[in-house]
Amino acid sequence: MEMLGFGTAAITFSVPISGWLREVSLRHRRPEDLATNMAGTAARSAVSAARVVKPILSRDLDEAKRRVRELYKAWYREVPNAVAIYQLDISTKQGREKVREMFYKNRHVTDPRVIDMLVIKGKMELQETIHVWKQKTHVMRYFHETETPRPADFMSKFYSGHDP
Amino acid sequence: MLSWTFRTAVSQTARQIRSLHKTAVRSGGGGALFVHRDTADNNPDTPFEFTPENLQRIEAIIKNYPEGHKQAATIPVLDLAQRQHGWLPISAMNKVAEVLEVPPMRVYEVATFYTMFLRQPVGKYHIQICTTTPCMLCNSDSILEAIKNKLGIKVGETTPDKMFSLIEVECLGACVNAPMVQINDNYYEDLLPEDIEQIIDELRAGNVPPPGPRNGRFSCEPAGGLTSLTEPPPGPGFGVRPDL
Amino acid sequence: MQRLPVVSRALAGVAQTKGGAALTKNVRSAATAAPAAAPASNLLEVFVDGKPVMVEPGTTVLQACEKVGVQIPRFCYHERLSVAGNCRMCLVEIERAPKPVAACAMPVMKGWNILTNSEKTKKAREGVMEFLLANHPLDCPICDQGGECDLQDQSMMFGSDRSRFTEGKRAVEDKNIGPLIKTIMTRCIHCTRCIRFASEIAGVEDLGSTGRGNEMQVGTYIEKMFMSELSGNVIDICPVGALTSKPYAFTSRPWETRSTESIDVLDAVGSNIVVTTRSGEVMRVLPRLNEDVNEEWISDKTRFAYDGLKRQRLTEPMVKNTSGQLVPTSWEDALTRVAGVLQGAQGREVAAIAGGLVDAEALVALKDLLNRLNSDTLCTEEVFPMGGAGTDLRSNYLLNTRIAGIEEADILLLIGTNPRFEAPLFNARIRKSWLHNELQVALVGQNVDLSYSYEHLGDTAQVLQEIAAGTHPYSKVLAQAKRPVVVVGSACLQRADGAALHSAVSTIAQKARASSGVEDGWKVLNVLHRVASQVAALDLGYKPGVDTIRKNPPKVLFLLGADAGCITRQDLPKDSIIIYQGHHGDVGATMADIILPGAAYTEKCGTYVNTEGRAQQTHVAVTAPGMAREDWKIIRAVSELADVTLPYDTLDEVRKRLAEVAPNLVRYDDVEEANFFQQAIELSKTVNQTVLAEPLVPPQLTVRDFYMTDPISRASQTMAKCVKAVTEGAQAVDEPAFC
Repeated sequence: MEMLGFGTAAITFSVPISGWLREVSLRHRRPEDLATNMAGTAARSAVSAARVVKPILSRDLDEAKRRVRELYKAWYREVPNAVAIYQLDISTKQGREKVREMFYKNRHVTDPRVIDMLVIKGKMELQETIHVWKQKTHVMRYFHETETPRPADFMSKFYSGHDP
Repeated sequence: MLSWTFRTAVSQTARQIRSLHKTAVRSGGGGALFVHRDTADNNPDTPFEFTPENLQRIEAIIKNYPEGHKQAATIPVLDLAQRQHGWLPISAMNKVAEVLEVPPMRVYEVATFYTMFLRQPVGKYHIQICTTTPCMLCNSDSILEAIKNKLGIKVGETTPDKMFSLIEVECLGACVNAPMVQINDNYYEDLLPEDIEQIIDELRAGNVPPPGPRNGRFSCEPAGGLTSLTEPPPGPGFGVRPDL
Repeated sequence: MQRLPVVSRALAGVAQTKGGAALTKNVRSAATAAPAAAPASNLLEVFVDGKPVMVEPGTTVLQACEKVGVQIPRFCYHERLSVAGNCRMCLVEIERAPKPVAACAMPVMKGWNILTNSEKTKKAREGVMEFLLANHPLDCPICDQGGECDLQDQSMMFGSDRSRFTEGKRAVEDKNIGPLIKTIMTRCIHCTRCIRFASEIAGVEDLGSTGRGNEMQVGTYIEKMFMSELSGNVIDICPVGALTSKPYAFTSRPWETRSTESIDVLDAVGSNIVVTTRSGEVMRVLPRLNEDVNEEWISDKTRFAYDGLKRQRLTEPMVKNTSGQLVPTSWEDALTRVAGVLQGAQGREVAAIAGGLVDAEALVALKDLLNRLNSDTLCTEEVFPMGGAGTDLRSNYLLNTRIAGIEEADILLLIGTNPRFEAPLFNARIRKSWLHNELQVALVGQNVDLSYSYEHLGDTAQVLQEIAAGTHPYSKVLAQAKRPVVVVGSACLQRADGAALHSAVSTIAQKARASSGVEDGWKVLNVLHRVASQVAALDLGYKPGVDTIRKNPPKVLFLLGADAGCITRQDLPKDSIIIYQGHHGDVGATMADIILPGAAYTEKCGTYVNTEGRAQQTHVAVTAPGMAREDWKIIRAVSELADVTLPYDTLDEVRKRLAEVAPNLVRYDDVEEANFFQQAIELSKTVNQTVLAEPLVPPQLTVRDFYMTDPISRASQTMAKCVKAVTEGAQAVDEPAFC
């Protein structure tokens, strides 16, 4: 059931009302919403028969792993550029270590669908980094420079201030 | 189109000329404001005490109303106070409140509502001249002029000897006998400028001239004599069928 | 904010009769009564826009409409005031009637069809609105009522979109009626709500309408202040911006602020309030509806003392250095010192005094802390006689009849109290009952102006004993009562002969109860408290009065918001250490060695129990300033450093502990019955019955004594201005007008 190729956003132009005043309205319909809904219904009805999992991108774990490696490589290549463009106070090595660390953080994930989602998110981050849609602080947030641990016990909460 | 805009603008401007509302000075009981300001002769310490005779009268007035409704006597008692003092200083109103056992504010409300309660000092003779349309058509302006010239005061003022005060009032209901003035409780009607001068002279001399029309009329009958009912009235049986 | 009342309130007005029972009955009948109602009822059937509704005879058109949920616009009508019928905004068409009628004043008749949305009705409203707006200034952008103005809202809903009025507008001079209420009299639409409030609810006949016609004005006529203890309420009932709050003038708009529902703690009534805040600052305090406590009014102190929350605050911990100066320090340092001091002095050497504004959470935490240190010397500043049953039986120290119960009473005996200034809302209830239910009031104690008439029986305690013995003429009056109430002020019980007075009062109450033959649920004996924390403290087992501390001066004294100054340095040994925890730098803080800054009632979620025994809670409206913390947390932190860690970390856990000690403290908005009068009177017979000869004088006699009674109101500039104004006249505090 392939629903994703189902057309693009519909655009309507309403006819001008007065001579010099024209109004243009764009109406977006979302075919994806429809698709998810229908897929959900389908999944629910299928559950009793056999467990059918709909893949996101990858059909098996190997394919998912391939995508991860591709993403890792892309990031690895991007790090020197990012350090230069954002004028980060870190070395390329430190940046690459951080990339490695971020990937290793999710090493326990084995579900290809989850891996795919993470890869998609990683790609989005990468795109934002490459196009400089981020600013320096956003990149440096990977390094948790300013974050202090939240107080856990009563006394440290008391000293740190009012209730969080 | 252009002319239409122009005309609208002109009429707008004309309509936006704002008029000043003027009745307050005249209706506010001798020109008083509707808030009280302490002055040398009108403050809570102005001496005022009901005379023993008036206290008896107040008792009689209160008896006209059911038990526990002393407040109903506010208007007559205020009037009594005004007759005794000539006008109503704040101390008189407080006294009335005390006598009637009501909060002073309730008395102030009444005293400010009625224009015949004078909350500002007036002379011994309070001249109220009517200048509403019927009197005006009968030349009340000349009477007003005459009073002004005679006393040397303007409307709303009192003579230095505290004998006469002059105010302009709206219709006093004696249009048939226009022009007219009310001096204290008396109506003087069908006036000519000479009449009013003579009245003032007499008042100054200490006499109160008899009230009523000054042109020889008895009351409010037609000025040019009766136009009907001129014959002597027919006796009994007039116009009745002879066979009855 | 649309101030049109909700339907249930209108129903309360319809029911008119005795309180809750009648109300529920009425509601039930309204709910079950189909158009074909039970034939036995005398209800009338009327129609609102064709919809049938059954109402009681005498119901007005407006009330009938509210019953079916149709809101009639109004300005002069207010359900707690008499009907004036002078604004004409509530005109509606009645089918087959020649003219529109004023809905607020017209009683319905059988079979009427009220047309609330017909052409004629709409036209009438539009016309009235046009007249009202003819003389109303167009200064909404600079008007403090803007955004919560009835005239604004209703002209949007019912008014025309243009005016035909081109003449000059009327202007009226502003009045100076005191430092609390700002008047812009040009905006006045002469609804006379304020006049009726002053004469009916507040009992101060200072406001009135002077002049006539176009020149009519609402004001005081003479230059006089409107200084009633309830005067601030005219700001709320004014439908336009003619009467606004002077301290709040030009500070914020209703849509910028956040509202937090809370409880007032400046007296023992526990008025329900709304704390309005903007960016961490209390902007104003408004009343919240609670029929059982404050109806919809609050006292001036409740409303205007909030600026005291921003002044004289303790914002950081302080300790005394070697030269005897208090210097700011960190929490770590202050807490360590306190813990060290507490550890160094075990058992009876530690004592604590709780003040009048403390919440139950802090009280229970402090009690647990001291108990863990083997001390039980926990006192309240307010004295209460301990003779007889003392505070062991709750019925001894509560306002058992409850505030709303006064409306059912027929005879009220006040003893040694001035409720007008000790509990203004309670006094307003008494006045309401005096006005509408023929309540007869008598007073033993100083002769004061209570805003209603009463029989003054004398001012000595001997009079009480005579009444108790039945030899006083008033005993006969009391014996005739159907539903008697006896209220004794907490102040007069604080004398040396308090126990004897309490015993005499209990005897009077018991006798009156026996002679009246009233049902079991009716309570007669009442104690009227003056501070918010007292009932909770007594419920938790605090000892009233500081005599124990005077007799056995402790080495360490912990003052929890104790600012009445009942213990001074002179009462304690030279080397003793005073720890003060509270929110204001008042009497207590100046004599302390260590200061721990706490939170005020708008800054914490706290439980307060009012004089009836009704537990209510405040909520956090703003965060405490600087380093100040919620009180129970400070005590909890001290306990950890002193190695006697209290077993609660969160508010829920503290409240669980509260429920263990006194379950009624967490049953919010509920009054726990106290019913051991018989036992209490048996025990009270054991106390020494001799009384002193001095007259019973309540501490607050005139309005001047009302404004500054606690640390918050003492720090308030507005309250200081009020005191100045009543002493020296309004001119003394007159500020240049802004507009």
